Formats: sequence, C-alpha cells, structure tokens
Amino acid sequence: MKNVWFPSLTLLCLELSMRVGTAPICAYGQTGCHVPTLADLFDRVIQQSSRMHGISSDLHSEFEQYFFPSKNLIGKRKCHTYGILTPDDKENAQRLGREQLTEVILRLLGAWGDPMSQLYQSMSRDQNQDFNHYSSNKALEISDMVHELRDGVAKMTEKMKQFGVLGNTVGNISPESLVPSSALSSYTQGEFNSLDHHDLLYCFRRDSNKVKNYLRILKCTTLPGLDC
Amino acid sequence: MKKVVEVFLLFLLLVFTPHAKGTGNSPPGKPTLNRCRSPEKETFTCWWEPGSDGGLPTTFALYYRKETSETVYECPDYHTAGKNSCFFNKNDTSIWVNYNITVVATNALGSTFSDPVDIDVVYIVKPNPPERVTVIVLEDKSWPFLRVSWEPPHKADTRSGWITLVYQIRVKLEQEKDWETHHAGQQKMFNVFSLRSGGTYLVQVRCKPDHGFWSEWSSTSYVKVPDYFHREKSVWILIMVFSAFIFLILTWLLHMNSHSLKHCILPPVPGPKIKGFDNQLLKNGKSEELFSALVVSDFPPTTSYNYEDLLVEYLEVNVPEEQELMLEENKDLHDGCLKSECSTSDSDSGRGSCDSHTLLMDKCGEAKEEERQTDQERMGTEAEDMVSPDMSSGRVKTWPSVFSPLPQYSSNTLDEQSSLEMAKQHYLSDSQFLPSSTSSYLTQPGHGTKEALGPSYWEFCLSNKQPHLLHPQTQARQQLQAHSDVDISSIGRKQAPAGLQSPLLRPTEYVEVQRVNEEDMVHLQPVVSGCGQNNCSPQMPQGEDYSKVKGVDSDNVLLLQRNMMEEDRLKENCYTSSTVTTTQKPTAMPVQDEMVLGMNGYVDTATMCILPTY
Repeated sequence: MKNVWFPSLTLLCLELSMRVGTAPICAYGQTGCHVPTLADLFDRVIQQSSRMHGISSDLHSEFEQYFFPSKNLIGKRKCHTYGILTPDDKENAQRLGREQLTEVILRLLGAWGDPMSQLYQSMSRDQNQDFNHYSSNKALEISDMVHELRDGVAKMTEKMKQFGVLGNTVGNISPESLVPSSALSSYTQGEFNSLDHHDLLYCFRRDSNKVKNYLRILKCTTLPGLDC
Repeated sequence: MKKVVEVFLLFLLLVFTPHAKGTGNSPPGKPTLNRCRSPEKETFTCWWEPGSDGGLPTTFALYYRKETSETVYECPDYHTAGKNSCFFNKNDTSIWVNYNITVVATNALGSTFSDPVDIDVVYIVKPNPPERVTVIVLEDKSWPFLRVSWEPPHKADTRSGWITLVYQIRVKLEQEKDWETHHAGQQKMFNVFSLRSGGTYLVQVRCKPDHGFWSEWSSTSYVKVPDYFHREKSVWILIMVFSAFIFLILTWLLHMNSHSLKHCILPPVPGPKIKGFDNQLLKNGKSEELFSALVVSDFPPTTSYNYEDLLVEYLEVNVPEEQELMLEENKDLHDGCLKSECSTSDSDSGRGSCDSHTLLMDKCGEAKEEERQTDQERMGTEAEDMVSPDMSSGRVKTWPSVFSPLPQYSSNTLDEQSSLEMAKQHYLSDSQFLPSSTSSYLTQPGHGTKEALGPSYWEFCLSNKQPHLLHPQTQARQQLQAHSDVDISSIGRKQAPAGLQSPLLRPTEYVEVQRVNEEDMVHLQPVVSGCGQNNCSPQMPQGEDYSKVKGVDSDNVLLLQRNMMEEDRLKENCYTSSTVTTTQKPTAMPVQDEMVLGMNGYVDTATMCILPTY
C-alpha cells in the first residue's frame, strides 16, 4: 500500500504545482508545431493587452455607475505603481528605447498580477452587493489575463533577444523588486472596501492603457509595417 | 395715515430699484466647461461656456492642477483655439495624468468659479477626419466595384504606434437618403461591391482611436459608375427569348393539332345518323330536297309484294267461308307473290310443310289475330251463316285496293272480282300446275262463266290428287275444298256490279279456328254443318287433317303447315308443282294441269309451296 500511495501523492503534488501555460502554439519548437514569428507574437500580445484594457475599462465604468453615479469623484489617490516611472509623452516614450520600454511593460504587468487576484477575491467574498456578485468574473478574467500577458511579453522579449533586437540587459526582473513593498502591503493587509475597489480599478485601467500603448510603440519601433 | 404709507412705499421703491436691476453690477455667472478634446493625444483644448454676464466686462481664467503635484497652473493659451477656450500644447500636455481644470469668471464685482473637471487626455482623443480620400471604380469579372483609399489625419501619429486608429466608410447613391456604413478596421483601403450601373455614389470616411471619439466625416467624394452590360443578364435574356420562342411554337402546334387532340381527350359522342339526312340541305333551308333525300326508294312500297304485305294486315279469317276465302286469298296472294322467299327449292319439301316461313300463311299472321277474335264471335256459326256482306265486303274490299296494282296478273281489264277470280284462277291454275301423276285436266272456264267455274273447279279439285292418294274422304274434302272455293269465289262475286248471280250456296265446309296453341299455331278444323250437294261427309277426325299455323313470321304472315300425316305424300306434288308453274303464263288457263288439293280438304299447303315465278 505504501508503495502505491507515495507515487500517487507525488504525482498529485506535481500536477497541482504545475501551472498550465496558455501557449496554444508550442513556444519551444517541438516537432509538428508551428513556431510563431515575432510579428505573430507582437500581434497576440497587442491583442491581449487591448482586450485586457477593454475589460478593465468596462468594469470601471460599471463600478462608477453603480456606486458613484456622480462623476469625477477622483480623490487624492496614489496608485501603488506610482514608483514605476513611465513615459507620459510620446517623445519620452520614443526616447526611452526598446529595452527600457520592455522593462516598463514587464514591471507594470508584474505589479498588477497579485492586486487583481486580491481584488477578485475581495469582490467574490463580498456577496452582499449585486455588483460584486455579477462583476467578480471580470476581475477574475483580468487577473488571468494579466498573468498571461506577462508571460507572453516575457516570451516575446526572449524572442527579441534572439533576433538581437533587444539587448541582454532586459530580463530577470522579479516583480517584487519593482514595486515598493509598502504599496503592496496595503493591499495585502485587511480587506478592501468599495473605495479601494474603485481606486484599484481606476489605476489598473490606466496602467493597462499604458501597457497597450507601450507595446504598440515597441512593435512599430521593432517591426515597422503595415499596421504602423 | 394713507399718505404716510404711500410715502413709505415710494421710498422703498426708490431704494430697491437700483438693486433690482443689477445689470452690470453683479458678479458674473458661473461658467461651465463643456468639453475638452485632443486631436492627436499630444495636445488638447478645453472650451467653456460663460455664464450670465454681470453687466460688467467679465474675464475668464482657466486653472488647472495636475494629479501628481499641487501646483496650480493657468491656461497657457487662450487664443489659439478661439474664444472661451484654452489650448494646451505639447509641453503642457501629459498623458495618463489627471488634470483638474477650473474656469473662473471675473468682473468688477466678483468672480465665479466653475465646477472642476477631471480629465485624462487619453480618453478625450478625437482625431481629425481622414485625409485624401480617393475612390476609383474597378472591375471584377465584368462586375464593377469601388475602391476607397485614404490617409490618416496628418496630425495623428499612427506610424510610431502612438495612436491606433480604426476607420469607417459610408456610401450612398446620389438620390438616396440612407447611407451604407462599412467598418474598415485599421486598414486604409476598402472595396465596395454591389453597385448600380450608371449611378453616382457618395463616399465618406471617418476614424476613431481605440478608446476615444469618432472624428468628423471626411469631405464627400463623388464617383460615377459607368454603364455596363451584365453578361449574366444577357444570358438570361437569351434564355427568356428562346423559351418564349419555343412556347410560341408549342402553342402553334397545339393549335394545329387541336382537332386530333380534342378527339383524343374528348372523343366525340356518336350520335344517331339518319340515312339520307343531309345537314347541309337543312342548313340551306331546302326542306324539300332534304325530305326527298330522306325518302327511301323502296318506301312507300310500290311493288307487288309490298302491297301484299299491306293486304295481309287487313285480312281476317272470320267465318268459315271467309276463312277459306281468306286462306285462298292468301294463297292467291301468294301466287301472285313474287317473293322468292317461297323456297320452292326447299330441300325439306318432303315434309310437305312447305312450310312455310314464306308462304301465304305468313301473311295471314295478322289475320290470325282477327281470327281469334272473330272466331270467338262466330264460333259455331253454321254453314248458312254467311259473313255479313259488310264483313266480307270489308274483307273483300281490301282486295281490290291491294290487288289492283298487281302487275303480274296484268288484269287491267278485270274488275275487282274478276281480279279476285283471276287470283283464284291463278291459284287454281297454279294448283293445276302442280305436277302429279294423275293428269286431270280441267277446262279453263272463261271469264264470264264464273258459275261454270265452279264445276270445273270441282273437277279440278277432284282430279287433283293421285288416285292412290285419293280417298273418298279426301275426295270429299276436295269437294269441300272446291265448295269452299266456290263459295269464296261466290262471295267474291257478291260485290260484282255486273249482277252476277250469286252461286248456289252449297253446303259449305268452313274452317274454324279450333284453337291457338302456345306456339301461336292456329289450329283450324272444319266445322261440319251440313251436307252439300256432293258428298259431304266431312267426318274428319278432329285435330287431324287440318292445317296448323306454324307461326307468324316477321311480316305478320300466318305460317300454316300441313298435317304431318299427309305431308309425305304431297311432297312430290309440292315440288313438282312448283316447277311447272314457272312455265305457265298467268293469263293462260292451265286446264291441263291438275290441281293438288289438300287431302284433308282444307288448305292445301302443298300448293302453298308453290310460288309461281312469273
């Protein structure tokens, strides 16, 4: 019995720990798979980021309509990603270069993985309000997409490094180092209230827009083509 | 008291009036920021609406504060964008930064702040319309289509990827009202299909960033689609023409064969046809011709046998004499009858029946009916009973009418009775013609000697039969026959205006209808009333020696047949007599010949067989 129990348990643990990657096309070049090109990767990443931004924008507008019918209720808030310096201008963005731009993207994406998960958990926990009950799915979807996009951009970065487009300075960035722990700690502690939800959604909406825009700039800088 | 109040009111009015006006002496109304727009996400402009004017010159100022800092800045440019606007250039514009903007209206009396507005430039982008929209007409397999191409607005930097624009096209015909909108995505070229040939189209394009506002429609581009001939349509036209042609041909064929088709589908109902009836004559209105055509040549009958047919109808066998008379008359008729139906060549003549389907008895068929009736009336009448002249006359009368046109007798000079007599004579002569072994001759009585005829007849009768055949009974019968003959002749003579003496009425033996059996056979039997001059022992067994009516043929002719007993003997006589008669003339008096009489003294059916063919 023990001989059977231990391997099965090992297999179970392995299965749980393994994360299913969302790579429909074999990224490692297995035989029989179609290896995507950089352009394909760019297109996918851009599509994903655009979709993510769209969902977050919808969620934010719904939140505002439900909880704060009066507009322009933007308090003096600070998004936890304020530490990440992002170019707020076209010239600044173009001046940044590909590598830094890629880093910014990765940082942003890394900084939002956990908060979105927590947002979803908070929303799903708070079932009293109908908004949380019906809109928590979007939060879950967003959190998943954040993770997927981050992985996708990482893969694309690797590809770009292979092509020599990117320098080797990019990469090996842990998300935790990018974001000040103080900012994150506020989210990890305690529960979120509706205002927190609203701030999170607002901040995420903007950051997703940044990611989308930076990716586009990166693409048109790297692969100038018809779309640019 | 009232005056005080009035003065006080006036004073109040004076004090407050200047305050009530307030036209130029009030702080300005509250302005409102109605919109801010950025055309390329690099600069933006805000416009505000001024509030009520306080009557004093009012100035406006716009202040903004960025999200990150607390510093309040004033609008750098009030004039570029027009009146009541503030233009933020590139240096002052930060993307993904919240701007808190406020407008302040100020006049001499005060200033009024508008409500603050928070904006993020990213979300207020409204690009300019696309530029250089070109439309050309191209052909795709002889089908024309429009190719629309354009350029993004020159300010929007799509090349670096800073802005991503999606486009929209709308097309409509010149005279129509509704536009046809197409979404073009991010491409800068679009094809429009399903055009109407010869029409003028209007094309417009507009664009929008990912999350922003639609631009205005570009200026209208006009394009005219040239007239083209559809190849497919031409094929359809050919097919239509061809099918119409085939249809016409089919219709013509149908019309040509409509008659036969009509017969096929709706066969004509056969109607009655009248021989000799001509529709055309009827239509022409010539009724005379029509009816003359209807007249059959053999109708009304003009030949002798037709008359005899007529005669038959009138005959009655009512009284014995008359019966015999009738029978003899029938015989005469038959003699005169030229009907070849009398099968003289009857192979079965041995029967002796000579039976007659064709004989005189047929003609007596009609009379049979009357016989029955009259017989019932006159059953048991005695010999002396003579048929009333009327009856006889009635019967006899018919004779002349029928007999007169008998041509074969050619007895034009004969009067009615004489014709009768002639017939009788002929009959008798016919009987004389009958060849028999015995040759007994009779002197043919002359015309006038009718009485003499009687005895001659007697002799005639007597010597008719063969000796061995002759029985006293039969002789008697013959005599009776002769008697009856004489009687008949005598009866016939009654009508003679020549004043012929009626012959002595001898006791006659007449035939009465015994019965009519189920086969419609009239059984005649002699009625013995008295004795005549000669031997009259007509003790005949009843039901033996009489002529039976075999039947009535189609011409209502009473068919009599001899008794079967005597048939055989008379066969030869029958046969031979027939052959002889042919050689004799009708007017000649065949004295030499014999007369064959029925052995029973009744109707000699043997002679019936004979049909002299003149």
